[in-house]
This record gives sequence, C-alpha cells and structure tokens, in this order.
Amino acid sequence: MSQTQSVQKTASEKDWEPKIVAFLCNWCSYAGADLAGVSRIQYPHNVRVIRVPCSGRVNPAFLLRALQNGADGVLVSGCHPGDCHYISGNLVARRKFALLKELLQYAGIEPERVQFTWVSASEGGRFAAVVEKVVEDVRKLGPNEKLVKTL
Amino acid sequence: MTPSHEIEARLRETAEELLREKRVDLFLGYEKASLPFRTAPLFLTSPEEVKRLAWNPFCTTNLAVYLPRLFKAPADARAAKAAPPPPTVGVVLKGCDTLSVVALIQERQVPREKLVLVGVACPGMVDRRKAERALGEHQALGAGEDAHGNVHVVVEDGTELTLPREEIVADVCLECRRPTPSIHDALLGAPVEAKAPDAAQRRTADFESKGLSARWEHLQKTLSKCIRCNACRQACPMCYCKDCLLDQTRPRWVGASTDISDVTIYHLLRAFHMAGRCTDCGACARACPMGIDTRLLVRKSTQLVEDLYGYRAGEAIDATPPLSAFATDDPQDFLTEP
Repeated sequence: MSQTQSVQKTASEKDWEPKIVAFLCNWCSYAGADLAGVSRIQYPHNVRVIRVPCSGRVNPAFLLRALQNGADGVLVSGCHPGDCHYISGNLVARRKFALLKELLQYAGIEPERVQFTWVSASEGGRFAAVVEKVVEDVRKLGPNEKLVKTL
Repeated sequence: MTPSHEIEARLRETAEELLREKRVDLFLGYEKASLPFRTAPLFLTSPEEVKRLAWNPFCTTNLAVYLPRLFKAPADARAAKAAPPPPTVGVVLKGCDTLSVVALIQERQVPREKLVLVGVACPGMVDRRKAERALGEHQALGAGEDAHGNVHVVVEDGTELTLPREEIVADVCLECRRPTPSIHDALLGAPVEAKAPDAAQRRTADFESKGLSARWEHLQKTLSKCIRCNACRQACPMCYCKDCLLDQTRPRWVGASTDISDVTIYHLLRAFHMAGRCTDCGACARACPMGIDTRLLVRKSTQLVEDLYGYRAGEAIDATPPLSAFATDDPQDFLTEP
C-alpha cells in the first residue's frame, strides 16, 4: 500500500505539497483534462488522475482508501447530468456523493477533503479551474492526518 | 399494554395452528435461555413443540436476520434447479422487525407469499447491560415480567427485586418510531403508540451541534474500543451479501486490523451501506461485545436519506430504495464550482 505514504514521509513539513487523487470519468472529465493539456492550460501538478469508466463506478471505498493511503484530498468528476455515456450513471452517483460528503462531515472530516464536480469533454478551462480550487482548499487545510494509516 | 403471558399464550396458539394446518414448514420465535435477561431464537417444525415458545421483555433479537438465508438460491444454476422449493416460514416480529422484513421484501431477498408474519405490539425490550448495571453488586438468577409490565428479578440470595421497565429499556426502544407492526398476518397485543418518534433525529442534531474536531475526537474515542469482530454486520438483517466488501481481499478495500484508521473506515462504510436501508432495529448495538454505539453514524445516514430524498426504510413494500433510484432534479449544491 504504502508507496504514497513513504513519499509523504520523506517530504519535510516545509515543502509539503497537497496530493490530490482525481477519479475522472472516461467519457467527459478525462477528455476534459486531456483538452486542458492539449490546449496548454496551466494548472497545479498536485493532481494524480485515475480514469474510471463512469463516475457511477466510483465506490466510496475508493475515496476512503485514497485518504487512508496518504492522499490529502480526493476529487471525483463526471459528465454533466444528462450527458452520461451510460444515460444515468452520474445521476446515481450524485446521490451517493451527496450522502458520502455529508456523512464524512458528520464524522468530523473536513468537507473540502472530498470534492465532486462535473466537467465535460469540451471544458478544459473548467477542469484547470476546478483543480486549482481543490488544491487551494486542501492547501489551506494542511496535510491529511485524520484517516491516514500509520501502522 | 397487554401482559406478556397473555401474548405468549396467544403466540403458542397461533404457532400451533399454523404448524398443525401445515400453513408453515418452519416457525421462528423465541425460547427462554439459560441466562436471565436473555432469550434464544427458536426454530420450530412440529406443533408438539410450541410449548417452548416464549414471549417476555427480553425478546430482543431481530428474527428477520434469519430470513434471507432460508431463501437464498444456490449460485450454481443446476444446483438451483435441483434444490427443494423454498419453505413457508412463520415468524414472530416486533414493530421494528417488520420494517426489516419490508426492506428485505423490497430488495427481493425474501418472498412475501412465503412468509406468515406474526406481529407483536412491543412496549420496548430490556437492555441486558442496563439491567445488569441496575442490579449493581447483585447477580441475577432469573427474571420475568410482573403484573405492571416491570421486570422482577430473583438474585443470588433468593430476594426478589423489581426493576422499573422504563429505566432498563434499550436506547433504541426509547427512540422507536414503530412499536406496532406495520404489516402482519396476525397481530398479538394491543397496539402501542411511539413515545418519542423524533428522539433519533434529536440525537443526530445534538452530535452535529458539536464542532468538526470535537465530532472527530468523539468518534475516535467511541470507535477505539472496536475489536473488528464484525458482530454488528452479522447481526444486521440488511447485511446479507454473499461476498461482503469487507471480506474481499483482491483488492482489499478495508483493512482487517484494529488500527483506528481501518476501524473508522469500516464504520463509515457500514453507515454508507445502511443509507436508506437501516430500519434502526438496534441489532448492531445489541450485538456489539464492546458496547459501542454502533448507531452513531448510521443514524446520520438514515436522517440524510430522509432529509434529501424523503425516504424512510421499511415503510412501503412498493417503494424504491433511494440509492437504487435517482431524480433529474436531485439536490447538487454540494458540488465544487470553480
């Protein structure tokens, strides 16, 4: 598990950079991120992208596992409602995410650690702006210590 | 409130009739256990044995937990074809237990037509731990119900004590929203009104009024007792998956250790899986050997589903569970906008 963890440990407190795991749907957000790259839009390098077939594929266990293994924040992005390649994957996901975010906040985890958004394949600029915002939010919070496994 | 011994007599009659007329192959109820403040689940197949059936203030177990496994078809298609037809089952259910059965019928784990539901209006069951605490130094040898519905106990030196029922009734029963069964084929006992239907909601709001870090501290303190025995999962009628996410090892999503991070993730995921499915029967809290308030997070997910999607688990058989459905105009103000 602990590639991410050991990387985090070697970094000293001073030059800490937030590490964001982004789950992007194959059909919209991943293409949006690709467009941001192709269009040479600058955005923070703190994000590690994981491509998933649909935002509906993202199980809350994925996000918790990422936080446990040393990610400072998690971003999930899918197609805008109505644009889902599988018709309703993102709509089902929306209910899951709404619950998960509230539940984590209730448990005492900062809501900014886990963020959700929609980015379409033509929104390279929006993707860059979202990443910037997420990175800024997480930078303000500091390193994630709550769910990290230190065993 | 109908006295327990009256209900017990009617229960035996009902079970006897069902078994004798072969309207059920199996009857699920409670039996007196060897220890005070406890009962054991009883599986009856012959009408001669109905004398063993018991009804007293200690019938806590949610018998719905045994139902899915009775109707589980073999995974292999050929074995499924050769398997005997599913049994007809009669089962004793308190108000909260009927909610579990409704949720199980909704999720197609049990067929309604194979069930004979014997509902009992429940005035609240005794929490074994509370009763033992109330006795203090004394050791109970036997316990039963007196004429006023209170619990009388015989202790080690033969003296008899009376414990007022409302002082030793389980927390989950104090928060009960449905003491009287919602669906039933036979109803025993006079209907009981819910005393504090919004108590669970108040407890959630109380916890929420603490700050973020205070909530986290409290949660960590509560969960640090967890030994990961999975009793809360085993006792839950809604946890029937053949391959539980927690048991998967390739990949292993949830670590099996008692490290506080693994424990927290376990409880978070359990609460998430219970969203819109938990009927708040309290089986998890009763099963916990460490006395953890296992309902702390689950209460919130139940509340959330009610607030966001106006849904309560186990209320109607023909309703669709909220996480199996969606609406195009679901709230999405939680989304990040750049």
